[in-house]
Amino acid sequence: MLAAPFQAEFDANSQEFSFAGVIRPRSVDEIAHSISMFRNAIDEARGVLYINVKRLAQMNNTAFHAFSRVVLDACRTRSDIRFVVVTSSVVGWTERMFRHLGKIEPQIRVEVYDSKFYPGQSFVEDTSFIPILRTQTKMTWRHERKILPRHGMRPGIVMADICCGIGDFAVLVRKEFQPARIVALDHSKASLAYARDVAKNFGISDIEYSYGDASEMLLEDNQFDLVTCRHSLQIFNQPDLLLKELYRICKPGGRVYITNEKNSHCLGEPRAQSIQWTYNEVAKLFSHFEMDVELGPKSRRYLADAGFDDILVESFMVTNHDGDPQDFADVITAWENVYAGEMAVKRGDPAEFIERFRQGFRDHIFAALHPKGYAGWPIWAASGRKPL
Amino acid sequence: MNAAQRQPAEMKYEPLLQFEMEMGTFLSDWQHCDQLSTYMARMISHNRTDPLRHSNFFSSALNELLEVSFRGGSPEGRIGCAVYRQGPKERVKLSFPCPPGHQQFFREAVARTHRNDAYARYLDALSSDLGPSREVVLLDLAINFDAEIRLEEEAPPSITIIVDLPLEGIVS
Ligand SMILES: C[S@@+](CC[C@H](N)C(=O)[O-])C[C@H]1O[C@@H](n2cnc3c(N)ncnc32)[C@H](O)[C@@H]1O
Repeated sequence: MLAAPFQAEFDANSQEFSFAGVIRPRSVDEIAHSISMFRNAIDEARGVLYINVKRLAQMNNTAFHAFSRVVLDACRTRSDIRFVVVTSSVVGWTERMFRHLGKIEPQIRVEVYDSKFYPGQSFVEDTSFIPILRTQTKMTWRHERKILPRHGMRPGIVMADICCGIGDFAVLVRKEFQPARIVALDHSKASLAYARDVAKNFGISDIEYSYGDASEMLLEDNQFDLVTCRHSLQIFNQPDLLLKELYRICKPGGRVYITNEKNSHCLGEPRAQSIQWTYNEVAKLFSHFEMDVELGPKSRRYLADAGFDDILVESFMVTNHDGDPQDFADVITAWENVYAGEMAVKRGDPAEFIERFRQGFRDHIFAALHPKGYAGWPIWAASGRKPL
Repeated sequence: MNAAQRQPAEMKYEPLLQFEMEMGTFLSDWQHCDQLSTYMARMISHNRTDPLRHSNFFSSALNELLEVSFRGGSPEGRIGCAVYRQGPKERVKLSFPCPPGHQQFFREAVARTHRNDAYARYLDALSSDLGPSREVVLLDLAINFDAEIRLEEEAPPSITIIVDLPLEGIVS
């Protein structure tokens, strides 16, 4: 059993003291060093000191009291200092336990860090994203089921699907590849509720759906043979942070598999120009919200920089000829609704722009449903091995 | 409620997992509290709505209980811990030998978790200089984990603490 080691760190630049991992000492003496570090940090701090417990997985009463005492004492001797304790909605007990400190001393404020991880979050966690995800996975699965074995998928493995969305990928993988265990994590409660519902309706009870923040997971190090993360690095403003977490939970010798798009390369015939214009604009629109939907071909670089070896990158084109062209058209309708109907509006785009923007999606649908038409959506699938 | 009335409701708690060991062995290593609570939490949480978070939460509560028995137990006899489930609740039943007279302390500490001033006492304890006592740990369970705590009378020197934890409702 691997427990995350305890860490107590002070970042003087941001005046942030962070606690992470598991700390369950028998006596205060065992944590004397961290306590004195904490005291020194408070002595040094001016104005507001942030106490970050987002990644604190476990802390027993002995440690909690000892650290609380330091803060409470400081409030009594230093009227010039304020504390902001930042807890996470993922680790339920921290929120419940730390909030009492604010009741004792008005100089202490307890905040729940939850939303605003990244600028695009409000769109992506919204229920309007559900139809997009559902139709997308249906289309990409035909390709992915063939290529996944090359990226480390095989029966009996322990795997995690991080940023699982509505969980349909986990359900499909479970059926096709029979892994021994699947953990599926996302930060959208709406998507997880949907995922659990679908699983229940299919009589599936062994996919472990979990609410969590992919950039600070409760999952322990070196656990999974395969970690998948689909279409999600591209929506974080700091994909490297997320990749670092995926690396951490992957077993040495295991693989991390990511898929991403390059939206400006979506294409169609007829009406190629209008389609191309719109998808160029899609890429710009996402970058306005600090999301890089052009990330696909950059996968190799990201994986290499994160420390992976044996990197494998391939791409496939989802097209209207993969199955029912209407499925392809449904994906685009879902895109149009969210990208033109919500995101462009949020950016404050004028009506004429939005109309032209919508036209490209409609032309893409036209191409998809045209008897002699061709419509494509390219995806980059990549994986790397965590060195032994 | 008398005992006869309580019986049918109690029956519905289904056993999930239990361990028993020599108290001397248990007391030989402080890490046992952490290891047992982590392991048991993981085992019983696998079919909860959010297994990871349930397990994290449950482990926190169980560890505190095990620490209570570690700090307050005596080395003669056996420690036993069983986890049961009824709907959204888990019940932890922890029995261990303790020195003579300690049953009375536990009885009082448990009674205080039911009193109206439980929260005020808890805040007081947090702001006082003393480290957490077993009373504070029980208050912590009652307040932060919405635990319902009682004692089952047993022949000395054993003590049995029963803690009902409605964590599924808090977690999901
Ligand atoms: C574009 S969707 C992809 C979903 C799924 N992998 C699929 O392909 O259908 C991105 C997902 O990342 C999730 N997400 C965003 N930020 C997250 C975070 N910090 N932690 C966990 N999940 C997050 C969103 O809720 C959303 O479900």
